[in-house]
Amino acid sequence: MVSVMFLEQPGRWRVITTGALLALIALPVLPLGWAAVDVPTAEVGQAFWQGLATSARIAVVGAVLGLAIGLPVGVGTALAPFPGRRVLLAAIGLPLVAPSFLWAIGWSTLAAHHAIAQAFTTGVSGCVLIAATTTTALVVFASYAATLELSRSQIDAALLSGSEGAVLRRACRNAVLPAGFAAVLGGVMTLSDPGAGQILGAHTAAAEIMTAFAVRYDIALAATQCLILAAIVAAIALPLAWIAGPRLAEAVLARQLAPPPRRGRSTTSLMVASMASMYVLLIVAPPIVGLFVPLVRGGGSGSIGVPALGPAADDHLELVLLGALATAARTALNTMIYAAGAAALAVLVGSAIALAVGRNSSLRTWAMTVGIVVFSWPSFAGALGVARVATAAPSLLDVLLRSRFTVCAVLASHFVPVATAFALRAAGTIAPSWTYAAAIHGVTLPRYLRMVLWPAVRPSVSLAFALVALLASADAGSVLLLHPPGEASLPLAIFTVMANAPEVAVASLCLIYLLVTVAILAAVVGLGVEHET
Amino acid sequence: MTAPVSLFELRNVCLRRAPRDVLFDCSFTLSRFVHTAVLGRSGCGKSTILRVLAGLEAPTDGTVFVDGMLASAAGRIVIAPNERRIAMVFQDLGLWPGLDVMDNVRMGLEASGLPRQERRRRAMAALDLCGVGELAQRLPGTLSGGEQQRVALARALAAEPAVLFLDEPFAGLDLATKADLLRDVKNLVSARGLTVCLVTHDPTEAFALCTHAAIVEEGRVAQHGPWRELMSDPHSAILRAFRARYETTAASAD
Repeated sequence: MVSVMFLEQPGRWRVITTGALLALIALPVLPLGWAAVDVPTAEVGQAFWQGLATSARIAVVGAVLGLAIGLPVGVGTALAPFPGRRVLLAAIGLPLVAPSFLWAIGWSTLAAHHAIAQAFTTGVSGCVLIAATTTTALVVFASYAATLELSRSQIDAALLSGSEGAVLRRACRNAVLPAGFAAVLGGVMTLSDPGAGQILGAHTAAAEIMTAFAVRYDIALAATQCLILAAIVAAIALPLAWIAGPRLAEAVLARQLAPPPRRGRSTTSLMVASMASMYVLLIVAPPIVGLFVPLVRGGGSGSIGVPALGPAADDHLELVLLGALATAARTALNTMIYAAGAAALAVLVGSAIALAVGRNSSLRTWAMTVGIVVFSWPSFAGALGVARVATAAPSLLDVLLRSRFTVCAVLASHFVPVATAFALRAAGTIAPSWTYAAAIHGVTLPRYLRMVLWPAVRPSVSLAFALVALLASADAGSVLLLHPPGEASLPLAIFTVMANAPEVAVASLCLIYLLVTVAILAAVVGLGVEHET
Repeated sequence: MTAPVSLFELRNVCLRRAPRDVLFDCSFTLSRFVHTAVLGRSGCGKSTILRVLAGLEAPTDGTVFVDGMLASAAGRIVIAPNERRIAMVFQDLGLWPGLDVMDNVRMGLEASGLPRQERRRRAMAALDLCGVGELAQRLPGTLSGGEQQRVALARALAAEPAVLFLDEPFAGLDLATKADLLRDVKNLVSARGLTVCLVTHDPTEAFALCTHAAIVEEGRVAQHGPWRELMSDPHSAILRAFRARYETTAASAD
């Protein structure tokens, strides 16, 4: 019988297990290396290199905008209380958990009906807008978390040395590093995002890869392009993660400090509330409104990006809506299976990593560093790797390589870093003395895990599960490559029909998806509140 | 009167842990029925000595004997912590936060092999003994610092150990609560005939509860013996300071 003491004992097994698990999450991407042998870099295509330059431009501008908006909003929201703060934060975070193509569709439909929106929501400027939306959300949460780390005494000291402005400046200085890191991470993730470029007509690198495998069915070319993109992303993310890793590894641990005092209602809180509300109203809400426009106007005849030629007959609209509902119902089970399966696997592996890392700070840094790199890679990179193996493997292996489980496993491998961060944080709240006391009193390992550890980590695990499920359910690329015939998810259904189906059908599907996402997000926020309490 | 019999013995124990060594050639005996304080500055290695004695950590070199039997040797634990007939109150108490007070104490009797009813009865008796019987259904997080200390003590005593290890359990308590607890602990351990090993940096606590002391300096046991001997010839700064304060207080009282 294994003693509970193994949870606290250092040893070589921790390094080996952590290394093996981190290698496991990078495993699906490894077969992309074959692609380089099949398709020389010269054959990758001029369009891809041009796309890469466009993607870089979008990423840089998106990151700068995200930092400029997100830092004051994040810091201010943590410092100054105002009614509806949580709702606004959830609204700002929505673009992180809903697929980017959904926002692109929203902006696109809005632009098709309103000339004002057309100027800045198409092409590269539209992609920048969507990149900035995602990056802003990341920066807001990073700054918010960094500000919450400030102790009550630090805030009081800043207040004694100046006014509320001094507190805000001190808090911004404290948050600028994590916020900057979040902005760069957002930019790097933008490089890997194909959704917006495809819909808004910008030739980005990720959109080129998506075209290679989804339109031209050239897995080898897509794999080579993806390998190049993954290498570039890793080259940016690795040094960044290596520098930020130790700080993140430290920050991921829970604090025992008194929370910063919530300042009374003041000019600062009014300004922050106005800024956050304006941001939500001008950037987050319009694409959602855009999804309603075809339904209100009955734009049944146009497809995405093309204005409707005329009002559709009411009965036609009704049919389209019924069709959208039928599609949503048909794909609901698969969407849930992929989301829940990926979340369960990611939480399992993330918890195993946290268990193996234990209290070893250098292993924690490694886990965070590798996690950041893996998370920055295109979400479909793993799927392309597995698809690359599947094309070379005998057909009898299709059961293994193109199954629901494969979809779940590949999605999980991409989102394990999210679950790992939560698991490491939960593990940090466990005092060594709990285990020592259990060892001295002869408590068995299963009983200790069930009675002591599980209740302590359950809130974090539940949050990680819900968050990964949300993120995984938004993926279309991996599902497209690996799903068994007829087992599509809702985002894939939207992605497949958006070019040809009537605008109103696509918008309805998007709205159904968004509604479910908002419901799950509300549950996650509720869980977070309960956890804090 | 019988001579104290060695119950725990450290022989030339070393513990190397990156980035610095913690214990160097430590030799130290814990005699049966004797209350010994392990006294030293913060970070000198006194809590590590307790963990090595308890079998929670294996020494890098040297040996640990329990009742004359080899308990730990270089890099290995021979006798598991739960087989050493010990109980421990930790500095942060180590109460399991998801379990109520009763379950904390009852789960501490896990290895006893007693029937469920008997475990419950014994847990309740220990809680009553420590004056926290009425808190049985509360969660540890809802209790005051002093109440939590008493629950931790109850968990330790319920297991009916031969030796009680106390790892700075009174740190962070106000003077009045600390005085009450010290008095109660002294009465309880004396009534039960327990051997006690108290780790502390506060000579006053050590003096109040223990008859013997081991002074730890930079990972070594610098002095070891009854208080009277130690105070008559204090080698370490901590003892000299304590003696000076003791003499000043005594002179003021006169």
